[in-house]
Amino acid sequence: MRDVLVIGYGNALRTDDGLGWHAAERLAADPRLAGATVLQRHQLTPELALDISRAAFVVFVDASRGPAGALSVEPVEAATDATLSWSHHVDPSVLIALSRDLYSRAPDAVAVSVGVASDAAGDRLSPVVEAALPDVAATVARLVAERGGAVPATAAIVEPASTTAEHGRA
Amino acid sequence: MTSQIVIDPITRIEGHSKVTIHLDDRGEVTDAQFHVTQFRGFERMVQGRPVHEMPSIMARICGICPVSHLIASSRACDEIMAVEPPPTGADLRRIMNLAQMVQSNALSFFHLSSPDLLFGFDGEVASRNILGVAKANPGLARDGIGVRRFGQQIIEWLGGKRIHPSWVVPGGVDAPLGAETRDRILSTIPEAIAAVERALAWYKSELTSWEEEAAVFGSFRSAFMGLVDQDGNVDYYDGLLRVMDADGHLLADRIDPRTYQEYLGEAVEPWSYLKSVYWKTLGYPDGVYRVGPLARVIVAAQMGTPRADLELDEFRRRLGRVPASSFHYHYARLIDTLHCIEKIDELLRGEDILSPRVRSTGGINRNEGIGVSEAPRGTLIHHYKVDDDGIVQWANLVIATGHNNLAMNRSVKQVAQRYVKSAALTEGMLNRVEAVIRCYDPCLSCSTHALGEMALHLQLIGPDGAILDELRR
Repeated sequence: MRDVLVIGYGNALRTDDGLGWHAAERLAADPRLAGATVLQRHQLTPELALDISRAAFVVFVDASRGPAGALSVEPVEAATDATLSWSHHVDPSVLIALSRDLYSRAPDAVAVSVGVASDAAGDRLSPVVEAALPDVAATVARLVAERGGAVPATAAIVEPASTTAEHGRA
Repeated sequence: MTSQIVIDPITRIEGHSKVTIHLDDRGEVTDAQFHVTQFRGFERMVQGRPVHEMPSIMARICGICPVSHLIASSRACDEIMAVEPPPTGADLRRIMNLAQMVQSNALSFFHLSSPDLLFGFDGEVASRNILGVAKANPGLARDGIGVRRFGQQIIEWLGGKRIHPSWVVPGGVDAPLGAETRDRILSTIPEAIAAVERALAWYKSELTSWEEEAAVFGSFRSAFMGLVDQDGNVDYYDGLLRVMDADGHLLADRIDPRTYQEYLGEAVEPWSYLKSVYWKTLGYPDGVYRVGPLARVIVAAQMGTPRADLELDEFRRRLGRVPASSFHYHYARLIDTLHCIEKIDELLRGEDILSPRVRSTGGINRNEGIGVSEAPRGTLIHHYKVDDDGIVQWANLVIATGHNNLAMNRSVKQVAQRYVKSAALTEGMLNRVEAVIRCYDPCLSCSTHALGEMALHLQLIGPDGAILDELRR
């Protein structure tokens, strides 16, 4: 298996918003993902760009606004603007763009998401989203099996430019 | 007819707020206010909880600086238990607090403020974000990621996770440091220092290009407050309070911070959930003082580490002993960060840092405890009262952003009066109003807590704008 990174993120204290958080816990113990790196995060931050640059295939797992319990898989392309990067958290597409711009790597990436039934305060998933967790794990395992095997031609492996250079003015 | 301009929400800060700018008949700015529009209320929520839960609960105030609350809360609990952490336990707490400073300062400088510094305050709005920085100056963006990651990794390696670690506990920390973790952290220090020094070199090379903004970005006479050690050097963990006025004279020195209520008053305005803290002898609202990185480098005699002291000397040669402008928070924040990394290195090389004695234990031996430390944004105070069973009866939090509230409001007004012309509003004008707030790096989730009853005014407004019902408390 080439380097696989799975990032499950969300707020585990806001019921279904914690889908990614709960999924990461399950996936970290899943033998089908042996060898993959699984990260559990409250939110996506710019620092993850370095981890992403070191992976060949990245899976983001998050809650979404789709129909409750419905699972979807979408490709993640590098963002062309950063409308979601005004603060300390960023969007998956921004992270792929950061990885590309800073470390010269834009790995193959997908987002696996499940529609929420509730984002009220609470540390448990709703029954309908809880029931989707095995499907999330199976989907991530299938994606990793299908796409974690070969390095795509577009994923050039280039060492980051020297960080010892002085910063220049834009 | 008077009118107002509203900037809502303020971007690239932690939390939710807005600014209103009030104009007179001629369109000139007469006043401006920084409204914090979110309400948290932890001081009330914790009433009835066992005191040993306080560090974990209080850490939930913030996802950016939970360690700061862990530290101050645990120190308040130490007082209630009447115990002192073993020296190694105290040093390990210090290391985690310093790592927190590094990662939070990096977030502020590299991720939130560098777009303005790099592209200018009138720069293309689509570029003023981290992607824009990555394209225009990838070295700076990489260093931002590297420095923040350095701090976060230390927190994660020590506490098991990078957000809301539970390693800091009343009496010390709950597990000693292993040699492998120590060595792993030490191996990352040289690159972290190099990254901050590169950022400092870049910042200093550009300093003169921001002179116009520096002259009005919160440039006024005020006092500054921070913790110092017995030698007068900066201290982030258990120092004494020093307050210096605009002329460099000490208003107070080596005050036991547990006596804060003798010196600091707390005021509440109806238009914000963020309370205003003021220096009592100067009264409200004249008792403005500032805290945070700029205050720390001003009040301290020295930083106390070699590289940071060299930078501090240069800072003072360039800007004087007490620079008036809040714009210089950025410069000070980098020096602060450099010092924190050096200090982590120094502490990790301590002879007893791997000692297994890291926690003292005790019961409820006092009914009151006050814990004070420096958080990234300034001095942080946790004050609890408990009953004989250790159940919290009362809590008061004085958060760095609250200390800075009066200064932030004054700064917003100053920038608005200089730049905002109602006849031809530009994005750059409004961005400067936001940018002056970012200098202080306010953490609004941390700072919106009420002392006692919060004045509350609710209006139910119908679709035609009429007030249908009204409730006041």
